[in-house]
Amino acid sequence: MNWILFIPELYFLLMALALFGLSVAGRPNPRRDYFASLFLSGVGVLVCLASVRLHGTIFFEAYRVDLFSQVFKSILSMALFLVICLCTELNGIEQRYHPEFFLFLTISTVGMMMLVSSVELLTIYVALEVSSYSLYILVPMRKGEGSQVEAGIKYLMVGASASAVMLFGLSYIFGVTHTTYVAEIIKVLPELMTSPAAVVGLLLVLCGFFFKLAVFPFHFWAPDVYQGAANQVAAYIATASKVAAIAIIVRVVSLSGGGSLYLVHVLVILSIASMTVGNLVAIMQKDLKRLLAYSAISHAGYVLIGILSMSDAGYSGAIFYAAAYMLMSLSCFLVVVKVAHDGSNLEISQLAGLHRRSPILALVLMLSIFSLAGIPPTIGFTGKFLVFAAAVAKGYVVLVIIAMLNVTISLYYYLLVIKAAYLTEPEGELPGLRVSLPTKILSGTLVTAMVVLGVYPTQLLKVALAAARALM
Amino acid sequence: MNVEFANFPFLTAILLSCVVGLLVILFIPDERKMLIKWVSLVFSGITLAIALYLFLAYDDQKGGLQFAEKLVWVKSLGISYFNGADGFNLPMLLLTGIVFVTGVLTMWEMENRVKEFFSLLFLLLSGVFGLFMSMDLFFIFVWYDVSLFPMYLLIAIWGSTRKEYGAMKLTLYLLAGSALVLPGILYLYANSGLHSFDIPSLMQPGTFTAAQQKFAFILLYLGFGILAGVWPFHTWSPVGHSAAPTSVSMVHAGVLMKLGAFGILRVALFLCPEGWQYWAQLMALLATCGIVYGTFVGLAQTDLKYVIGYSSVSHMGIVGLGLATVSVDGLNGAVFQMFAHGIMTALLFSSVGYIYDRTHSKMIPELGGLSKTMPVASGFFIFGAFAGIGIPCLANFWAEFLVFISALKVYPIEGVLAVCALVVSALFMLRAVQRTFFGERMKRFDQLHDMTFGLAIPRIILAAVIVIFGLFPSFMLNVVQTSVIPFIHGLP
Repeated sequence: MNWILFIPELYFLLMALALFGLSVAGRPNPRRDYFASLFLSGVGVLVCLASVRLHGTIFFEAYRVDLFSQVFKSILSMALFLVICLCTELNGIEQRYHPEFFLFLTISTVGMMMLVSSVELLTIYVALEVSSYSLYILVPMRKGEGSQVEAGIKYLMVGASASAVMLFGLSYIFGVTHTTYVAEIIKVLPELMTSPAAVVGLLLVLCGFFFKLAVFPFHFWAPDVYQGAANQVAAYIATASKVAAIAIIVRVVSLSGGGSLYLVHVLVILSIASMTVGNLVAIMQKDLKRLLAYSAISHAGYVLIGILSMSDAGYSGAIFYAAAYMLMSLSCFLVVVKVAHDGSNLEISQLAGLHRRSPILALVLMLSIFSLAGIPPTIGFTGKFLVFAAAVAKGYVVLVIIAMLNVTISLYYYLLVIKAAYLTEPEGELPGLRVSLPTKILSGTLVTAMVVLGVYPTQLLKVALAAARALM
Repeated sequence: MNVEFANFPFLTAILLSCVVGLLVILFIPDERKMLIKWVSLVFSGITLAIALYLFLAYDDQKGGLQFAEKLVWVKSLGISYFNGADGFNLPMLLLTGIVFVTGVLTMWEMENRVKEFFSLLFLLLSGVFGLFMSMDLFFIFVWYDVSLFPMYLLIAIWGSTRKEYGAMKLTLYLLAGSALVLPGILYLYANSGLHSFDIPSLMQPGTFTAAQQKFAFILLYLGFGILAGVWPFHTWSPVGHSAAPTSVSMVHAGVLMKLGAFGILRVALFLCPEGWQYWAQLMALLATCGIVYGTFVGLAQTDLKYVIGYSSVSHMGIVGLGLATVSVDGLNGAVFQMFAHGIMTALLFSSVGYIYDRTHSKMIPELGGLSKTMPVASGFFIFGAFAGIGIPCLANFWAEFLVFISALKVYPIEGVLAVCALVVSALFMLRAVQRTFFGERMKRFDQLHDMTFGLAIPRIILAAVIVIFGLFPSFMLNVVQTSVIPFIHGLP
């Protein structure tokens, strides 16, 4: 067995072990915990990037390392690193739990990394649960008087039901194909896609992942969890967890070989429902994190458009979109974390006067919101363009028109956020927000990345396309 | 279409001066307001100088696409950065340059959040220039959206009358337009089989079947039509224009609405000529509705900016009618009208802006007798109004004349209706002029000063342009028809 292939996961496991050591070691020391995790996760990004060219299979072919999985591992490690960057003032969580907080973030990342590489049904299931259970613990870890526990329980209940449904689906797939190996399933399944059992099985399996991606009708947990969890945890759920979900959905859908119209129809319906529900409900939100949760539901719908095209272009569009979504969502959360520096939730109205309190955060907010709204020259536009182009190439013009109308609706509530930050004057005079140099650098990097990758997407697109081809 | 590449990237230089101007402004501290204005003037002046040079240097004998520049952008998708100048976009580039410079000069007295205003204005204008010069569908769409998103802030922060409502309505309408344009563009891209967004290669005859053209045309026509203020999708325009600050109204009514009409011309007409001929009846009908409707609703307005806003709807209807005739004269007239209306409407908004800054009112009943207190400012408005109603020897006359003679030939009923509406529109403009500027002199405006020479400069430039192209319409038509004639003759 070639252990080299397992290096990124091993590295993060070791990191988890180190953090475990910190958590049992004596008195709490938040600065030490923060810098240790920041450093370790930073090195983790480099390790993942260095291992991007690896390919091969391990663990009796249950675990496949290819460009697709390695690209996603890099994105995930970056998401972890960036989320940890936001933890300079981790006021939402008691100091003595800080090492555990970082520990569970890391374990969840390991789970997601295993998820994107798994090509065997039970491994997929185990990896999914590893990543989910850490999150179930992270959500109620927040200081507070009970809403965080409610969110945690809701998350756990919905998640456990989704897992049960998924297991049921796995049993169907195993039943019709007599194997749990994805590579074997790929060979048999396209012919079986005419039989209801195979389609139902695949759909039930997808339910488990739709839960992670918060696709309608598996989205109920998202707003409460975003609102109830600490801001950094919400940022992590909004970025890394979504990226991993996109990866595994792409992997599972590509199993069908594009032959099933049922599957396409179901995905079309879910995609339309997801965008429409997400956007319409987002209009009414007052809390910025809830708004982002509903906008995430609508973005899940846009990503599905790329996936249901079932072509190279569609899958690469979805991969690009995952990276783009990670960047822009994280930039939004950067603003949430910094403006609500005491770790509380952030009402949209509390953004009033942000352009004077901190021009740089206002700029980050504006660009990330425009990016979420899909306005060029930002990466969000390029992502939407790619998935829509893939869908039109397959003849889904009406779907794309519906999606674009949804984009128009979404602009309404996005503009309300921008209006709050740039136009509304606060009632009393609020103090300026002190933005530290590292935060300025981070903001600058995120903004530059969003614009540069939006204007000149060639390189990232090449990687996404190669990753999508590795899938076949 | 023959393409002649440039030995110097003039078109990119226009874009770069917008982008560099934007960056320079971003690095000037907030308090140096005069410096920001001078920097804006210099960089906008460069764009105008280059646009004017291109307009004069364009070789009408050769025609085709000149000063072209092409750079592969995203190879795997067939996107290239491809710019070029021809008879259709040169007048538009010139118009944008003129409105840009005069818009900056009009805002010379501004004090509130100056840096943000001018940086957003530069961003807006880079989108406008980009769309006019681009020959690549992808970039056309990108520039369309780039020019759209500073609008919300520009109107909502610096505007007046119901500014937040106006800004939101305008942004959502225009984005809804792009919601139709993008599927249209992607549909053409997917069905061409060429794997390219390049307009000259997509416009080869036979690339698209008639059915595909009909479908794509209607998406593109309606999508760009929203921005062009095509009836019944015009309702954002009077609201948005009256809410916007002066120079943004100028840019918006003067240039941005032309983006829509130009998009119809460049994308829908170029790529779907059969779709165009199929839908021409509908275009003519909607355009005539716009002309008649804009005129009659304009009659009932009491807000000067709404008067201009509705006259814009009606004048953009004339552009639409010209495009619907599928004839050389109609297209010449439509392009000329885009230019002439842009200048005229910029002049009107610019004059109203001055009056509003002084009197703090743009309601016709509250004004009155202004020609006695501010003869110069009033004079510019009256001149603009005359140009708008088509007084001979002013630029708009030729444009409207060309459109109407070709419309009367092709669509007699619509043509007659449109001409009648024009007479009524003369009535409504003159009524607005009479009530605002003549009649009883208002005591409370007595202490107001008239325009100084410095502030009159932008208005003088605009008025001069109207006169020059009114006296010598061939300056414009020679350039425009080098592209129109081969295009119409090459139709299937």
